[in-house]
Amino acid sequence: MQNRLFNILKIAAIAAGLALLAGSPADAKFVTDQAGRRVEIPDRPQRVVSLAPSITEIVFALGREQILKGVTSYSDFPPEASGLPRVGSYVRLDLERIIELRPDLCIAVKDGNPKAAVDRLQALGVPVYALDPRSVPTVIQAILEMGAMLNAEDRAERLVREMRSRIDRVTAKLVGTGHRPRVFFQIGDAPIVSVGTNTFAHELIGLAGGHNVAAGSAAYPRFNREQVLALAPDVIVISSMDRAGSIERTRQEWGRWPSVPAVRSGRIHLVDSDIFDRPSPRLVEGLEQLAGFIHPEIFGGFK
Amino acid sequence: MTVSSAPLIKRLLLAAASLSVVLAAALVAALSSGSGGDGILRSLSVVTGQGAPDPALETIVWRIRLPRALLAALAGGALSLGGLVFQALLRNPLAEPYILGIAGGSAIGAIIGILLGLSHFPGVSLCAFLGSLATLVLIVAMSTGQSLVKKDALLLSGVMVNAFCAAVIMFLVSMTQDARLHNIIFWLMGDLSSADGRAVATLAAILAPCFGGIFLFSHAMNLLLMGNDMARSMGLHLRSVTAALLVVTSLMVSAVVSYSGLIGFVGLVIPHLLRFVWGPDHRVLVPACILGGGAYLTACDILARSLPDQGEMPAGVITALIGAPLFIFLLKKTRR
Repeated sequence: MQNRLFNILKIAAIAAGLALLAGSPADAKFVTDQAGRRVEIPDRPQRVVSLAPSITEIVFALGREQILKGVTSYSDFPPEASGLPRVGSYVRLDLERIIELRPDLCIAVKDGNPKAAVDRLQALGVPVYALDPRSVPTVIQAILEMGAMLNAEDRAERLVREMRSRIDRVTAKLVGTGHRPRVFFQIGDAPIVSVGTNTFAHELIGLAGGHNVAAGSAAYPRFNREQVLALAPDVIVISSMDRAGSIERTRQEWGRWPSVPAVRSGRIHLVDSDIFDRPSPRLVEGLEQLAGFIHPEIFGGFK
Repeated sequence: MTVSSAPLIKRLLLAAASLSVVLAAALVAALSSGSGGDGILRSLSVVTGQGAPDPALETIVWRIRLPRALLAALAGGALSLGGLVFQALLRNPLAEPYILGIAGGSAIGAIIGILLGLSHFPGVSLCAFLGSLATLVLIVAMSTGQSLVKKDALLLSGVMVNAFCAAVIMFLVSMTQDARLHNIIFWLMGDLSSADGRAVATLAAILAPCFGGIFLFSHAMNLLLMGNDMARSMGLHLRSVTAALLVVTSLMVSAVVSYSGLIGFVGLVIPHLLRFVWGPDHRVLVPACILGGGAYLTACDILARSLPDQGEMPAGVITALIGAPLFIFLLKKTRR
């Protein structure tokens, strides 16, 4: 009899312990996200849905993909991300699919995800933490914040340290170079679209020792052929927004305009747009590529 | 009860009852289908309140699908009623808010409101209303002129108003360079995905008095169809009736446009279908259009949500795919 009571007590104790353990992920704290919203997020999120390809990349870079339960379309890096459930594109989120995945945390990008959809998710009881990466330093900040949120602080520290040292390696080599080649970074073909001051590509061109000829307040300024000829870029970088392969045609198109220095010297380069427009750790890769294009005399062997 | 009113009331009740059933069926179907919620049967169990409770699925059904289905029903009812009113007022079977350019006018107003950063209600809705009134004045001015009494001329003027509106919209869209662009373009093609409880409540509050008001004028619309002289001799104050109907209808259409964008041809398909079934009496057709139009757009939105494998298409794409061929068919028929 005594024994049985003890057994019952033991079972009760185990059950209570289990309940506590199970309860711990539900512990939550209030934080202010990068969009200035007060949100309650769990201490130890277990079911995270990423609302942008860049967020997906960061989650994988932090080694926390096991708690990633859903991603947006075009989340194609690393390749393993392609196997995760899709929740619509980052501008057109499929709320039903998100709710169905029962996330305890969604991570959004302030300038990409529509505010209405984020507010809607929040109203439906899903905590949404919005990041606002606008430059390389703020991307680094976002990675650190995500590390803290996803209980991967050490990994985030390491990742950030590596990014910083790779950036420093590029900028250190450029010290004392007064020459800033003129760069035209083309992201669209018809019409010709380039990148203004408020973009990652602009920032990377500057860090890589170049001068963005399209600098200006418009984020994605449109150009006609004549205007680009007048800008006389030394380097043209064409980024593949569409993945259909028309990018090579765009390069050949420039071949008809030998008055452009970049055409004359054959300095037209094709790049993958994902590493220049996603606020992800791969921006550093973009910087190294650009440095090689803009200052081959210094970074000849970089690539 | 007079002899002639007996079949009318019977017809009215029959139409209202049967179309209510159709609308209810469409709403249940809308609640049961979507990208999430693994399967129609599981969702149906939530709708009927059976089966094991599933909080995620309940959220999906009641807080995502229900507002959207209700918005579709309200918008569909208002748009088809708008078509019915314009067909009576202009005595033209091809008149419809979208074809006449009224919807385009409210879209311009709404886009200006969005670009000015106004709140959805009342800011953007008010801009949409002003835009629709402006196009309405334009259309009425053109259609009351001597040379424009013909059907084709009215349609042509509508085509021109539409072309102009489309150009202004493209102009405004080209001038903007930000994240709102994508949403504006989607919204332009008729998008119901923004529906939430508050949008539905606001729209219902605007539309309910409009529905009631137009129903009061349903006998007047019968008289209008007999011709101006006839209507006048029956004691109808032509000017005030026309003005009241036009203002109420454009209020209705612009409210819908500001919430769901440009959804065309609903006002063409539904009134014609219902006239075919229930006859030409507007006292039956007004409630029938509200219910039938609601069911129709709800059904179109189910298709829009479920046809693409990834994401969804705007509901306006479906209504235009169905409506435009019908428009051509009706145009050929009325020419004969």
